[in-house]
Amino acid sequence: MGDIKLALFLAYKSIFGANRWALALIVLVMSLSFANLLLVPSILAGVTETINRQQVDALYGDIVIDPLPADYYLNGMTRMVSALESVPGVTAVAPRIDSSALIESDWKEKDSPADRGKSGTWPVTGVEPDSESGVTSIARRMIAGEYLAPGDRDAIILGVEIAGGEMAATADFETLQGTAVGDHVRLTYPNGVQREYTVKGIFRAQESRADRMAFVTRTELSSVLGRAVFNDRASQLLVKTTSPGLNTAVLEQMRTLGLSAEIRSWEEYGSVMASVVKSFDMIADLIGGIGLVVAGIVMFIVIYINVVHSRRHIGILRAIGIKRDVIISSYLLQAFFYAAMGIVLGGLAFHLGIQSYFHQYPLDMAIGKIDLTLQPQTIRSAVIGLLAAAVLAGLIPVFSITRQGIIQAIWGH
Amino acid sequence: MIEVIDLKKTYGRGSSATHALKGVSLGVRDGEFVAIMGRSGSGKSTLLHILGLLDAPSAGRFLIQGRDMLTLGETEKARFRLQEFGYVFQEYSLLPGMTILENVWVPGIGLGKNGAARKRAEELLQMVGLGERLTHLPNEVSGGEQQRAAIARALINQPRILFADEPTASLDLTSSRVVLELFRQLNRELGQTIVMVTHEPDDRRYVDRVIYLKDGRIETE
Repeated sequence: MGDIKLALFLAYKSIFGANRWALALIVLVMSLSFANLLLVPSILAGVTETINRQQVDALYGDIVIDPLPADYYLNGMTRMVSALESVPGVTAVAPRIDSSALIESDWKEKDSPADRGKSGTWPVTGVEPDSESGVTSIARRMIAGEYLAPGDRDAIILGVEIAGGEMAATADFETLQGTAVGDHVRLTYPNGVQREYTVKGIFRAQESRADRMAFVTRTELSSVLGRAVFNDRASQLLVKTTSPGLNTAVLEQMRTLGLSAEIRSWEEYGSVMASVVKSFDMIADLIGGIGLVVAGIVMFIVIYINVVHSRRHIGILRAIGIKRDVIISSYLLQAFFYAAMGIVLGGLAFHLGIQSYFHQYPLDMAIGKIDLTLQPQTIRSAVIGLLAAAVLAGLIPVFSITRQGIIQAIWGH
Repeated sequence: MIEVIDLKKTYGRGSSATHALKGVSLGVRDGEFVAIMGRSGSGKSTLLHILGLLDAPSAGRFLIQGRDMLTLGETEKARFRLQEFGYVFQEYSLLPGMTILENVWVPGIGLGKNGAARKRAEELLQMVGLGERLTHLPNEVSGGEQQRAAIARALINQPRILFADEPTASLDLTSSRVVLELFRQLNRELGQTIVMVTHEPDDRRYVDRVIYLKDGRIETE
């Protein structure tokens, strides 16, 4: 007990009795190191989080219902939607009919059939505007004009990368080269049906595939493909749940409904972006690892200098009979204190300063607004890493100094 | 009390070896105030460091109260230094982050005598004339006062032997006299055994006996 008291006393005096500026500097370095350890992985996690969220919001919802491999469509759609809506945790179900079409703008200005003009082939999806807006964010991503209304038959909304123009990132010749709201476009469907629509709105979902899609109402597209057959048919059902945490449970329950369909989570669908997300995760791990090593080394150097600077004092303490274990413990306590202060103050600075700033002013990137995403494992590894570095930084030099002769420690010879 | 037989200390090896002590034998009685004198490089500090268990000899025997000090392990040596010995070093050896009182108190905490040690530290500081300096930091007092505080620290655990390594070397004449008077007072009034290394010939008048070292050997006693 006396030894613990003495170790605590020595550590306390060494921390607070010495130069206050040195203490402030050590704590500042520790805090910045810790905040830095959290920052880069949080930005990269924010990027992957945004990629994932965009896929959920713009393309898939939380759960995707597909036809069985042998089928092209989901038949008995109305009954299926009702069954899915009855599952606890489901907030909305949106049926979609998928097709594609040659979309042409200003087609009357073409001077020959070989003239490609302003045209291209893109996916065209038939949606029920109300239920679709309960699942995906397309309705909230309109940058010009309006979203579809349930009764629309001659209206189409275009992704910004189809419409083209200044707001699009795609090369002009691969788009409709600046088609605007109110313009007319002509769609030629694979079955040869040709329809003309007015561009009702243009959206930007900030998801590269969604921004290359066009939407008409499901009623319109089923009339193109054959109303009698497509009235109660869908290519896909997208499901929104109350919380992503519930997805697995909802998924399990849906599988008990006995639907003739494939039921998948969005993650299984998001495999196209999975390699990108995986790469970002790998980069985050790599940078996080390097950051941890750098922070550890910085911490090691700072504490090492502090301990080496105290070599004479350690020698004097040993000369007057203070036990080696007590001296080692006192320096370990000091190192722990510096690390703990760095973790607490760096964590507060990160939370109240950096995180709040990013929350208010997220990074505006092509894939969307990037906010910081602080994952529990990032905090865990930063805390453990910094404490481990502190222990080593405190232990190694004081261990070596206390193994030296007392005379050498005091007088250096 | 102290018995040293044919003590040798060699630094380095082979042709570069330096023989600091070449076979020293001496004895110090209980309550004696002994000075070890000699020129620079004569081995006097080396001898004191070995006697104070701060360094180990290369050969020889060293006993205190009949107990062989060279058989002690590191922990036992530390306990001996804490309980049985007191040290006053040549240079100011107070810990800079602690007040004068805390510096004196620390070895007492090491013995687990927290409250009692604090009281005794205050009394000792009164005794050495630093009653008004308890809360001062070492850099806020003079060199002489620091050395007196070091003496108080050396006495905190009521040591059997007080070792002093040129305790007045960094002090002016007046401060030196105060420190030496204090040693003599401790020796005369409390019967404190003191072994002091000094190179000042005038210091002889304060001590009971002088041991002269020359080239690692005792020249005269």
